[in-house]
Amino acid sequence: MRAAAKVVPLRPRTQPYEPAARPRAPRPGAHGSDDPGGPLVALARAAEAGLTLESLARLWRRVYFAWHSEDVDEFGYDPKFTETILPFFEFLYTIWWRVEATGIENVPRAGPALIVANHSGVLPWDGVMINLAVRHEHPARRSCRMLALDMFALLPFLAPLLAQSGAVRANPENAERLLRKGELVGVFPEGVKGVGKRFKDRYKLARFGRGGFVKIALRTGAPIVPCAVVGAEEIHPALARMDWVGRPLGLPYVPITPTFPLLGPLGFVPLPSKWSIEMGEPIRLDRYGPNAAEDPMLVNRVSEQVRATVQRMIDGRLARRRSVWFG
Amino acid sequence: MSPRRTAVTGVGSFLGSRLLRRLAEKQGPDRVVAVGVAAPPRRLGVRHREVDLAQPGSDQRLLDVFREEDVGAVFHAAFFTSPRRDTAYAHELESIGTLSLFAAAAAGGVERVVLRSFTALYGASGQNPAFLTEDRPLQPDPSLAWARDKLEAEQHAASFARRYPDLRVTVLRFAPLLGPRVQNFYTAIFDRRVVPVVMGYDPLLQLLHPDDALAAAEAALEKAPRGAVNVVPKSPIPLLTAIHLAGKMPAPVPHPVAYVVGDLLWATGLGGAPGAFAHYARFGFVADGERAQRELGFVPRHSSRDAVLAYVAYRRPRLASTRAEAPA
Repeated sequence: MRAAAKVVPLRPRTQPYEPAARPRAPRPGAHGSDDPGGPLVALARAAEAGLTLESLARLWRRVYFAWHSEDVDEFGYDPKFTETILPFFEFLYTIWWRVEATGIENVPRAGPALIVANHSGVLPWDGVMINLAVRHEHPARRSCRMLALDMFALLPFLAPLLAQSGAVRANPENAERLLRKGELVGVFPEGVKGVGKRFKDRYKLARFGRGGFVKIALRTGAPIVPCAVVGAEEIHPALARMDWVGRPLGLPYVPITPTFPLLGPLGFVPLPSKWSIEMGEPIRLDRYGPNAAEDPMLVNRVSEQVRATVQRMIDGRLARRRSVWFG
Repeated sequence: MSPRRTAVTGVGSFLGSRLLRRLAEKQGPDRVVAVGVAAPPRRLGVRHREVDLAQPGSDQRLLDVFREEDVGAVFHAAFFTSPRRDTAYAHELESIGTLSLFAAAAAGGVERVVLRSFTALYGASGQNPAFLTEDRPLQPDPSLAWARDKLEAEQHAASFARRYPDLRVTVLRFAPLLGPRVQNFYTAIFDRRVVPVVMGYDPLLQLLHPDDALAAAEAALEKAPRGAVNVVPKSPIPLLTAIHLAGKMPAPVPHPVAYVVGDLLWATGLGGAPGAFAHYARFGFVADGERAQRELGFVPRHSSRDAVLAYVAYRRPRLASTRAEAPA
């Protein structure tokens, strides 16, 4: 039997050893792969087939599942989508805004906690960056569910984007549900008053809502971690507002910034200020017990205490800051 | 004494017909009776008592049937799962028919009534929390006759439950059903080649597998908890994911246009639903299934994704098989 002499190498020697890379765990999105090749190949095939509706649907489906997983969590968080857009957020975090995060160890290693931060910057970039700061710098690599204002959570295009990247519409039921599951939740009690404020009012904290976040913390026993974001006020400096433009679209404010609406879509590019995100010491409320949520005086007192803490942290950082762009 | 009979209305509907078959198989064809216009398949051997709930005087006829058949429990499923152009008939059947049914049940000594209802009655709104619990007020769009009639049916149920403490009234709010042989608004959507969606929105949907729906319906007849119970799948699915899983082409329509165009198409007979249904393509109406677990002992076995895949496998076996062979 001469055939035995022939040795078929399992792998050509010249080919460098490839580690099994990431274990391609059962890819939930693999269903797009009814034919091999990327979306471009699919497009070429679709063109060849005469661009029928079926081929277009197949193409679109490929593109969609290249970005999305088939399963999301109960709030619509899509890990695959988040992973896809993460590099862009990382770019903003490390290069564009050069975020300097301090005091992240104040976030509990496990269990529920409520991060309470100042809100600024017209678009909710501060939420994205707080989330990234915790993901990056926290020893337990926790991730944080940000509570998004109604206006963001209901805006076309932005709404699904926020939900898929892990944000949750801000309402007490959602926040309580997340905290009871032991998650880390981020909230901006200033709401629209904070994120839409004019440039001349920058770093002056608006009223902290009606203390809803304190009630939730009291009811769930979650500690409050005060958080000060400095730098986000300068990314879209709102010199004036023309809110009447946005009213038919349901927008609570439309700012005039040095770049918007002057430069059109370019006006959505945030300015590259230098950011700092600082977490303060946790404020524990569990000694009051869950019934304390019904005590409006206590709720207001704690709310004011948290607001003053965040304001103090901001003021301290501002006093040390020499340049908006270089910190 | 043998247990009293169970009556099922709405045997022409998917849920009604399935439940009737299940009950006939489990308890024997003699223990169940089909009440309504549609007749059950003859091979089931189930007695059919023809009563048109939409006709005046149906309460008296129902009362006779309940007494003659010794009915102890009723599963009331005579509801349209898709919007109807004939709103007057739908109103007579769903709202007034339910009123007649409860009147007859209360007078005829029926012990338990299970009303088939819909999570869509919570209304799709941006104000909804991520999980709607049963105590959430029902606020469907007031212009939707489809939802209004069902809301009235629920109100009749609540009022009879209050006035007749001996009558155990269970309201099962089912998430939209999707699966083999189901025919409703959602299957009509998934049967289209191009599915209109609202541009820039991708709400979470709950699509209930028929097996889960049946299990919950059976459990409700058995345990008969008072009040409303949501029956929902294990996990929701984003609308676009569902459309792509089904291999369909989404056609985004800007929302200011969607309502007008939807109404136009509906009025001209081309569309499948009035424009206000666009709410359901913009915002979620995801309901919480905890009470069903507590009171019915019902734990859904399927997710919304399972329901979509089951429907795809049924309607488009070719698509499903290429997917199965695709390397993981």
